Amino acid sequence: MNGGTIEAPTIEYALLAPMLLIFGAAVVGVLVEAFAPRYLRKSIHVPLTLLALAGGFLLTILQAVREGVPTTPAAMGAVAVDGPALFIWGIILVLAFVSTLLINDDEQFVAQAAAVPGSSDEEAAVRHGYAQTEVYPLLLFSVGGMLLFPAANDLLVMFVALEVMSLPLYLLCGLARRRRLLSQEASVKYFLLGSFSSAFFLYGMALVYGYAGSIDLRAISSALGTVAGQDILLYVGVALLGVGLLFKIGAAPFQAWKPDVYQGAPTAITALMASTVLVAAFGAVLRVFWVALGNLDWDWRPVMWGVAILTMVVGAIVAITQTEIKRMLAYSSIAHAGFLLTGVIATGGPEQNQEALSAILFYLVAYGFATVGGFAVVTMVRDAGGEAGHLSRWAGLGKRAPLLAGIFAFFLLAFAGIPLTSGFFGKYAVFSAAVAADALPLVVVGVVASAIAAFFYVRVIVLMFFSEPAADGPSIAMPTVGTSAVVALAAAATVVLGVFPEPVLNLADQAASALFIR
Amino acid sequence: MTEAVPSYLSPTGQEIVFLLLGAVAVGAGLLVVTTRQLVHAALWLVVCFGAMAGCYLVLTAEFVAWVQVLIYVGAVVVLLLFGIMLTRAPIGRSADLDSGNKTVAAIVAVATAAVLVTVVIDGFRTAYTPLDPGTGAAKELGSTIFRNWVLPFEALSVLLLAALIGAIVISRTDIRGRN
Repeated sequence: MNGGTIEAPTIEYALLAPMLLIFGAAVVGVLVEAFAPRYLRKSIHVPLTLLALAGGFLLTILQAVREGVPTTPAAMGAVAVDGPALFIWGIILVLAFVSTLLINDDEQFVAQAAAVPGSSDEEAAVRHGYAQTEVYPLLLFSVGGMLLFPAANDLLVMFVALEVMSLPLYLLCGLARRRRLLSQEASVKYFLLGSFSSAFFLYGMALVYGYAGSIDLRAISSALGTVAGQDILLYVGVALLGVGLLFKIGAAPFQAWKPDVYQGAPTAITALMASTVLVAAFGAVLRVFWVALGNLDWDWRPVMWGVAILTMVVGAIVAITQTEIKRMLAYSSIAHAGFLLTGVIATGGPEQNQEALSAILFYLVAYGFATVGGFAVVTMVRDAGGEAGHLSRWAGLGKRAPLLAGIFAFFLLAFAGIPLTSGFFGKYAVFSAAVAADALPLVVVGVVASAIAAFFYVRVIVLMFFSEPAADGPSIAMPTVGTSAVVALAAAATVVLGVFPEPVLNLADQAASALFIR
Repeated sequence: MTEAVPSYLSPTGQEIVFLLLGAVAVGAGLLVVTTRQLVHAALWLVVCFGAMAGCYLVLTAEFVAWVQVLIYVGAVVVLLLFGIMLTRAPIGRSADLDSGNKTVAAIVAVATAAVLVTVVIDGFRTAYTPLDPGTGAAKELGSTIFRNWVLPFEALSVLLLAALIGAIVISRTDIRGRN
């Protein structure tokens, strides 16, 4: 032992405060699980989780307002807390807060996950009123990973964040109270496919490291100009990285998990996945493809074109054939991932990048809120055995519950991108950025896909308002404060962003103005 | 990676040992999947992992080599053996260890290996890196982990905690409340 000392790393705690707060609250949640009596746990977890998410949001805003946007990576170059990252953090934290209200709201989660479905153990657990309150710390762990994922400044941090984000989600998917086998199947499917995609990402990382000699995004970018003769390593590595990332956003041909998982997972978790995970994953996609591989865009752009077109077309067309409301929304989410990819392709000079980035950020806000709202409505329409998933059960809902059906119709119109909803401005911004980047054919495909998508959204609206309600139709659950707040907030956000989008557009512009730091 | 490439015709002792260890690893790996006895498969896995550790050692990554021995040989294989012992898995020779999918599996395995070998050979065709002893030592790695990589390191501990909680959630049935 020669007693060598290690110089202490410099960690910018203030910059990382939102993330550290979330992880800290998750650890406290684990302690609550360990020491609090069962009947108290939920009443401790809910305020703790909500306060942590709200606190994280406030810290993010404080950081952006007071200290301005930093220009160098933090934590020994591991994390880049730049304008886009702060904006994405804000969206994720707000959407996670809203989803938590939805999770808190009702007994959507299994009483005891380890009890065999249909067994006497399960009955006993339900009779004793057990609840798997571990969902709250798991949710916070996942949200912490989501914050780290789009802010990662090298591939290793990105991989770790990907796992921290995904692992709790795999578990949460399997904890639905009703139709437990479907839920567990979804969980296993998500886990297996997710592990595959992580392995792809890891292998891609190894090959890119072999090419560039570094996994730092900036170093990869500068290696593109200096390293010669090892192109095949780079291309295969980038392809594998792309598979891992595109899986997470559910782009075709890696979309197969989305409908099954969205259908099987507890609806509150589906709302969380459909909104925040998509936001976080797009942040990471942008960082890898713009920061690290920005100078390689001539090579990845044609492939991305194909992926975007395929994603939009598959999402829109297959959605038409769906008869289950959550599956339909899952395919709609796939189509939206395709629309967002047109923004990722719309690169060019710095100004062009800025426009595209701000469009993507705005789209993510608009889509996230409408999605959470849509799934919140789904939780309220119930049959005897749980949620009324089949579309035929939704017939005539407009006559039985006009307000609820009206709000749901409004969310669907926002998904379709009808003017005066938030979806319109989101699509307009992304498509105009793509037109400016000479991707007109892509935009044409996008518009056609939007029209096809509008068909199945409108079909649901027609079903709700213009067909007779069945005699034994589903009941509308009396919404609790949490669900009403979620629906009201999401509807308000969709209206405000659709009628008066300037403040958020400006904010997105500002966040995008400095682009990603390198 | 731009050093002059020495001739392949007079390999150094290091290179010969590396190739031999590689051959042992591949051979043991093949035996793992072809043997008809479950316990033998686990033990061949020890040989395979051990040979890999030897490869790391030759490449001067000594810390990684010992981690390989500790985690894979020590923990993973022992876990496998305990799994065989504690469940009612057949100990002796059993015919049903051969899967009906073995042709397909072999094709997939060979194809994957072919792709990866092609990529690596094509990518590193002329690259040559001299090995400096000491760069893979525990001291160097420790100081980079706790300095440059401290954030991902801590995030990994969070991941482990989350996995632990998840394992408890999906497996324990004997937790009774103190109502």
